Amino acid sequence: MYAATTSVALVGGEARSVEVQAHVGRQTEAFKLSGLPDTAVREAKDRVRAAVISAGIRFPNRTVTVNLAPADLPKGGTDYDLPIALGILAASREIPNLRHAVVVGELALDGAVRAGANALGAGVLSARHQVPCLVASAVATEAASIPGATVYGVSSLADAVDLLRDGLEGRAPARPGEQIASDRALDLADIKGQGMARRALEVAAAGGHHLLLHGPPGAGKTMLARRMIGILPRLEPAEAIETAMLWAAAGRRRGLDTTPPFRSPHHTASKAALVGGGSGNPVPGEASLAHRGVLFLDELAEFPRGHLDTLRQPLEEGMVSVARRGMSVDFPASFQLLAATNPCPCGFHGDGRRPCDCRPALLSRYRSRISGPLLDRFDLIVRVGRVEASEYGGGAGEASAEVAGRVDRARTAQAARGQVNRHLPPSADLFESPGAKTLVATAIGNALLTARGADRVRRVARTIADLEGVEQVDEEHMAEAIGLRGEWRDD
Amino acid sequence: MTDHRLIRPGEDGYPLGLFDLESPPVLYVLGETSTAPAVAVVGTRRSTRYGTSLAQAFGRTLADSGWTTVSGLARGIDVAAHRGTLKSGGEAVAVLGSGIDVIYPAEHAGMYHEILSGNGAVMSEYPPGTPPDRWRFPARNRLIAAISSAVVVVEAGQKGGALITARLAAELGRPVFAVPGDIDRPSSTGCNLLIRDGAFPVLWAEDLMAELELVLGTPPRERGKTNSEIPVTGVAVDDLPEIWGCTPPEALVRLARLEIAGDVRRSGDLILPV
Repeated sequence: MYAATTSVALVGGEARSVEVQAHVGRQTEAFKLSGLPDTAVREAKDRVRAAVISAGIRFPNRTVTVNLAPADLPKGGTDYDLPIALGILAASREIPNLRHAVVVGELALDGAVRAGANALGAGVLSARHQVPCLVASAVATEAASIPGATVYGVSSLADAVDLLRDGLEGRAPARPGEQIASDRALDLADIKGQGMARRALEVAAAGGHHLLLHGPPGAGKTMLARRMIGILPRLEPAEAIETAMLWAAAGRRRGLDTTPPFRSPHHTASKAALVGGGSGNPVPGEASLAHRGVLFLDELAEFPRGHLDTLRQPLEEGMVSVARRGMSVDFPASFQLLAATNPCPCGFHGDGRRPCDCRPALLSRYRSRISGPLLDRFDLIVRVGRVEASEYGGGAGEASAEVAGRVDRARTAQAARGQVNRHLPPSADLFESPGAKTLVATAIGNALLTARGADRVRRVARTIADLEGVEQVDEEHMAEAIGLRGEWRDD
Repeated sequence: MTDHRLIRPGEDGYPLGLFDLESPPVLYVLGETSTAPAVAVVGTRRSTRYGTSLAQAFGRTLADSGWTTVSGLARGIDVAAHRGTLKSGGEAVAVLGSGIDVIYPAEHAGMYHEILSGNGAVMSEYPPGTPPDRWRFPARNRLIAAISSAVVVVEAGQKGGALITARLAAELGRPVFAVPGDIDRPSSTGCNLLIRDGAFPVLWAEDLMAELELVLGTPPRERGKTNSEIPVTGVAVDDLPEIWGCTPPEALVRLARLEIAGDVRRSGDLILPV
């Protein structure tokens, strides 16, 4: 006796169908599971048997064979418990066959269905193939937020069996959940002084420019960086789903949060943790968890240089390819890079109050830990100096909400042009006034700018004009961008 | 390195100031010696950013006035003074404590050749090939003091060659100038001691020039405008809005205009006047 149902595997943040085939034979009692399961999936056997018995249903005391197809696709996690259980029950004719349904959920030994990471993927497949899907009730509204998905939440295996015996028509599908806008508690108003760095942060947010902050310890680099999220535009629903799917592929639940993700891996993180990898089914790394958000690398110069260079692919292509045993998985990884670093090993280079006691050779070695190609990615390299004690007395800085308003306006203008300014190729028409063009040419002539430096300055000037809400890049905008350019390499 | 000249006392190009010494030495010279009044700018090898930028600024200002600057090609203040002089196209004189063809420290080979390819000169009382023995440097300092009409000590610790130069200069009747520094900063103790003992304190660059005019007479050249928008010791970009009393975007625009006009330049994180 044979039955099959459908479940989900997440490959590169995309949902793929997995056919869960169940066969109940005539031989003596046994339970076999095949189809490249990982340890968690293999353990499903014990959970499924216990849950079926807890639900008051007889578990077939004959040979049960379960295969997850396609067999060459690695499968992991606990989300196959429920489809395996329902497949076996259909094969032993306890419930109707449910070939045309997508099922996802982890089973507890008492038969309860727990929320797994793949509920969103079930929603995606449900919408794609126009079939109903069954997920844990805890995540039903989340999966129902996928446009076009028909989602039924089940609280336990018994509940699922009832639902299938009575027919889906008898029950109303789950309604789409509210989108979450997680709290953006850190506000720029908390930061006193630092006018220059605040301006740089605003420009970086408005144009999606990669930003490197450097300065002595205690200057507030990390405080500033953590407030970036609060001034970035919210994600579109489709973007929130895309991000949540990547998180799910890493085994994390994010919900349909429209706040852009902010990931801040420590400098001891492995290459696999940064860009993805792992044995078996490749898992997305921090670069992909930060997709459509911010990847913040604090103490940039402390990251091993080889690790940083693995970020060059996502920075260039917006995705990471992880090759594993004859298969290569692409994870989207289009993030805004935000980095902070001390100016030198002792931290006091360029800080008038304390002499830097790093030997010149040590200083240049420290600075060269960030490779040229990576450095080229930063449109903005900005010094954050220590705030004078006297400045603490000043009033609160401008609140994030006000800055976010200007950033939104700038992003709207960029959306109308088709791309965020970070991605503008040097050949793009940036609508520069003759005065602005002359200014750049003069700066190149005076050796203030290299050709590549000029490209960066022009992109930043475009963003400054967008912040002001004007179509043309004027001389003023270009001059500010030239003033804002910075160096990391010491001359 | 074979086209050096040997100049004996009284011969053409022999610096007149050396006659103030008890026994004027013969000189090995590369490059052109000039008759313009010379000012020594000396100081510690372990200079701070403060000292380095001041030495460079003094070298520039002196060169702008048409005066020759003299120093010792050593690390720190010496090489900063040379650099400032060359930036203004002035005459830099390096007096070595080794043979004229022995560049010490070796990393200053670039500066050595820059001095020679400019209007400057390199001189030494030792024959070519003489190694840079420690004991030769105090003797070299007596030449720096004698060649110069005035000595400016930019930064000096409690001990060191710069103080020897200053003492010898005072003995020869040359005016000595010293840049005051924080009393708790070891790198300025020497200068502060000199001031206590009667050296002229240099309070700002213009002050130095006014005092030098009293001693050396009218400078050979009219100096151009000085840039007072940026302090001579430099300023960090993020401090500009406060100094200029404007918003950060305004400060950035103004900075870019000054840079493009060639009035200020960047050195790493610092903005410096040109």
